[in-house]
Amino acid sequence: MRILPLVDPGTPDLRSPWRFLRRVLWLQRGSVAGGAVFGILWMGSQAVFPYVVGHAIDAGVARHDLTALWRWCALLLAIGLLQAGSGVLRHRFAVTNYLVAAFRTQQWLVRHTVHLGASLSSQLSTGDVVSIGTTDTIAIASGIDITARLSGAVVTFVLVAVLLLHASVPLGLVILIGVPAFSLLLGPLLKPLHARQHKQRAEVGQLTALGADTVAGLRVLRGIGGEEAFVARYRLQSQRVRASGVEVARSQSLLDATQVLVPGTFVVLVTWLGARFAVQGRITPGELVSFYGYSAFLLTPLRTLTEAADKVTRAVVGSRRLMTLLQTTRVLAEPAQRAAEPPVGAPLADPLSGFVAEPGLLTAVVCGDPEEATALADRLARFVDSDALLGDVRLRDLPVAVVRRRILLADKSPILFSGQLGDELGSNRERVFAAITTASAEDIVDALPDGLDTDVDEGARAFSGGERQRLLLARAVAADPEVLVLDEPTSAVDAHTEARIAGRLKAGRRGRTTVLLTTSPLLLAVADRVALLEEGLVVASGTHRELLRSTPSYAALVLRGETASRSA
Amino acid sequence: MSTALPVADLAQVRAYARQMLRRHPRTIGTALGLYVAAAVAGLVAPRLLGQLVDDVHRGTTNATVNRITLLLAFFVLLQTGLTRWSRWKSLVLAEQVFAELREDFLARVVDLPLSVVESAGSGDLLTRMTSDVDSLARTVRYAVPEVAVALLTTTLTVIAAFVAGPQVAVAAVIVVPPLWLSTRWYLKRAPAGYLSERATFSRMTGGLTETAVGARTTEALGRQKQRIARGDHDIRIAYEAELYTLSLRTRWFPSVDASFVLPIVAVLGAGGWLAAHGHASLGQVTAVTLYVQQLLDPLDRLLGWLDELQVGASSMARLVGVTAVPADRLPSDREPVDQSLRAHDVRFAYVPGRDVLHGLDLEVRPGERLAVVGPSGAGKSTISRLLAGIHGPRTGRVELGGVPMVELPLERLRSEVALVTQEHHIFVGTLADNLQLASPKATVADLVAALDAVDALDWAQALPEGLDTRVGSGGHPLTPAQAQQVALARLVLADPHTLILDEATALLDPRAARHLERSLAAVVNDRTVVAVAHRLHTAYDADRVAVVEGGRVTELGSHDELLAAGGSYAALWASWRTDVSTSP
Repeated sequence: MRILPLVDPGTPDLRSPWRFLRRVLWLQRGSVAGGAVFGILWMGSQAVFPYVVGHAIDAGVARHDLTALWRWCALLLAIGLLQAGSGVLRHRFAVTNYLVAAFRTQQWLVRHTVHLGASLSSQLSTGDVVSIGTTDTIAIASGIDITARLSGAVVTFVLVAVLLLHASVPLGLVILIGVPAFSLLLGPLLKPLHARQHKQRAEVGQLTALGADTVAGLRVLRGIGGEEAFVARYRLQSQRVRASGVEVARSQSLLDATQVLVPGTFVVLVTWLGARFAVQGRITPGELVSFYGYSAFLLTPLRTLTEAADKVTRAVVGSRRLMTLLQTTRVLAEPAQRAAEPPVGAPLADPLSGFVAEPGLLTAVVCGDPEEATALADRLARFVDSDALLGDVRLRDLPVAVVRRRILLADKSPILFSGQLGDELGSNRERVFAAITTASAEDIVDALPDGLDTDVDEGARAFSGGERQRLLLARAVAADPEVLVLDEPTSAVDAHTEARIAGRLKAGRRGRTTVLLTTSPLLLAVADRVALLEEGLVVASGTHRELLRSTPSYAALVLRGETASRSA
Repeated sequence: MSTALPVADLAQVRAYARQMLRRHPRTIGTALGLYVAAAVAGLVAPRLLGQLVDDVHRGTTNATVNRITLLLAFFVLLQTGLTRWSRWKSLVLAEQVFAELREDFLARVVDLPLSVVESAGSGDLLTRMTSDVDSLARTVRYAVPEVAVALLTTTLTVIAAFVAGPQVAVAAVIVVPPLWLSTRWYLKRAPAGYLSERATFSRMTGGLTETAVGARTTEALGRQKQRIARGDHDIRIAYEAELYTLSLRTRWFPSVDASFVLPIVAVLGAGGWLAAHGHASLGQVTAVTLYVQQLLDPLDRLLGWLDELQVGASSMARLVGVTAVPADRLPSDREPVDQSLRAHDVRFAYVPGRDVLHGLDLEVRPGERLAVVGPSGAGKSTISRLLAGIHGPRTGRVELGGVPMVELPLERLRSEVALVTQEHHIFVGTLADNLQLASPKATVADLVAALDAVDALDWAQALPEGLDTRVGSGGHPLTPAQAQQVALARLVLADPHTLILDEATALLDPRAARHLERSLAAVVNDRTVVAVAHRLHTAYDADRVAVVEGGRVTELGSHDELLAAGGSYAALWASWRTDVSTSP
């Protein structure tokens, strides 16, 4: 069996959903072929079962020929074992088909999502990506999976038809014409069922969302009351789900009944025709039993054909949705002509606001409007295109990868990925330890059962807001970039700890360029230079003390009005 | 600090299931009766064919054939009708039972003890509310009825085979030992296998969610390779879990398939031998052979659903477990004599043996503003939860007007003391719904007044549909600051005399926080306030400051008193104010 994940998942064919599916099939043609072969053997051996049973009855039971009976019984056993063996092999190939297809498309999805990076959120929602990764890749995989049974169904149908035509032409024709006709009859039944199931799924989705919303807000809810309102609104939606389920039941029970009626009708028809032939002596009693068996068996390939039609349709829809994501491109363009990299130790400047971060210094930016500050940070780290300069080269003229390597922006909503904390903070343990000290996060790591080797769960829920912020700061410092831009890195940290971080950050980043967007006096006090940003422009700069003295609007912003007036 | 929620044992799950089923004795009876009738109608065909074969063998007329075929057609139609009816009845019943089950569960969840909700963390409960309820859907809708029907059909088919030809049918018993042994082997291992398979898929979904949510972070830090490696690693784990269950099936499937062919061969062989010696008729052998073949379908379904049933039982155990959480409040009818809040010699531990508070004493005077400051991990948040009556102390007393907090009925507690944390949540629903939670009887005028008090009326009325705008997940988005204002407006409506603020504005932008503090000022007016704070100006504005270090109050007094005392508060204040005081 193939080992997953694939070392090289290959490239998708994005020209059309059908070509996409064809490429997926082609990339795993070996196991698809294996599945088809064993699918045919498996269903084929089921199909010849009635044939052998009929002969056994004729030979042994009707003619009392025990030797022949033992032979037919032995053959039956052999075919049974062949069916068991080929059945499990078909299953193994089908599972491989399914998994390789699901995981290959998943690998494409993850790789492309990572490639999109910061360009993702403006074009697709997180929910879209997750739903493509969970629903659509599965739909594609199910479409590939069904090929093994589909091959078996098609070949078996032909095989039974030949057996029947061989025994009696009219009987064979009844089956050959009747079965496709009845499967067409199933179509109109399936459509409302699917529509109702679809509606039910939507209602269930809303119900699950309500349940999740209740749990997510449970602490708030338990704190202020309103429990009854919540039970009531959940009950309302729950009853809607039940009503839609009753609609599904209507179609479902009709379909189930049809699946009794269709083979039943064939049994009646075939038995009637067969019995009349038998009365005329044209066929033996055993053959009559065989005919009965064929007509009962034929439902299996019939069901498979309907199922395959459904799954392939879903796979096409899934492919289309996955392709939409895979065709999304990055927003930030790579420069047509890449400029020469500026030397290490170049100043970082934003001509739009007049802000300059001198190399090797800790420069703070104070701004009354957090959105304005964030916009400046995005320009300085080229998350949006502007005329920002590193040395005398525009950032937009450098490859994005070069900008990312030299300038790191720790924005306000970064996420701490799950996994081993140490790995998440950085690859160089020595630097990670130093960074943890800088971010004053030793107590957090010490409190963990396995220190840096502790597994952090998704969303880092075990940490408080302040703890998470310190760990994120440690991660940014541990990356040790030439330029580090920090946006409100300590807004959730208590004053004691913030004071410690202020001193250590300055030491920890000595010799490197650091830009700090903050209004905290504890941090501003340690900055080499402070710039005050108003209406998008740097209106004053100097040290914290100089600005406190010279610029009243600065003092008001940093030290709260009432405090400043009391100290005067 | 999170405590796992309990999981019910098998006996509890069974008792609960029995209790669920007892609510619908008549519907269940009808559905079962219909299934029996449908199964019996389906069992006529092999008998008729056996008769037909006998007749043909002995020589018969077309008229007999026509008569038997008509009978056959009649039973096919009967079985079709009964199938439709029985399926309909049981599916509707399943919908009903499942609806009751999830509604029951949600009612229990919203009634969970405050302390459990606070300490269990939302992850576990969320999984139970979403994936466990979802996975029960398959069990209740399909697995339980399918297994019941398959058992019924199997039993009836075996009886029919014995009625048609007991001497021939005996041979079919050969199926039992291999099927029994292999299935027992499989069922011992399968549920754990499928559960871990499911867990690996959740892990994969979790990883993908992180990759999507953190796409920007990934690009900023250049962690592309790590994210791809994480995705590939999740696939490897999922693949290994799949391989395990596949290896179980690889052994089980062939043994089941082989078991199925054995009785057919045995019945044919034995039947032929008996017929040759005059102990059985051709029709009997035919009918029993067909019955045995017909047995495979229900048996196959039965086996196919058994593992699903086991997985469903484990989901059920996790849901029923929630109902086993003991109550943490013992309401008494003692009335508080006044509004004073007092903690005396309080010790408290989230984990037994690891006290977070070590003999804490604190008295909150009615009407005062008390600030609680101190380093992270000193126990500030724990104090706020004890003062708000969410947890009871391990030893010592926390009392409101002389009555222990945990003896106050919940409704009463809410009208006395409220806890405001940095955690806020906008529920799915209209803005008005969100406010009315705190006071179901509030009129629109009350809501408007509350919004106005917290300075939120302007934006609320500017919403597309004003107070009737749908907010929360999937609705109109609110900024964190607006969400916090909604939380404050709820407080105005709930109107408690004492507020415990636990870093209520900590996670907000400084500018937004400042705006909010104005909203907050409106709320705290005329109320007793205990504010856990990390911003020193909060402490500066308070009547008294309590410094908490190592689970004890180490300094207590007004701002000026503490400055004069020259302790750790004074030191911190000095570092914060250095630059101002040195400026002229």
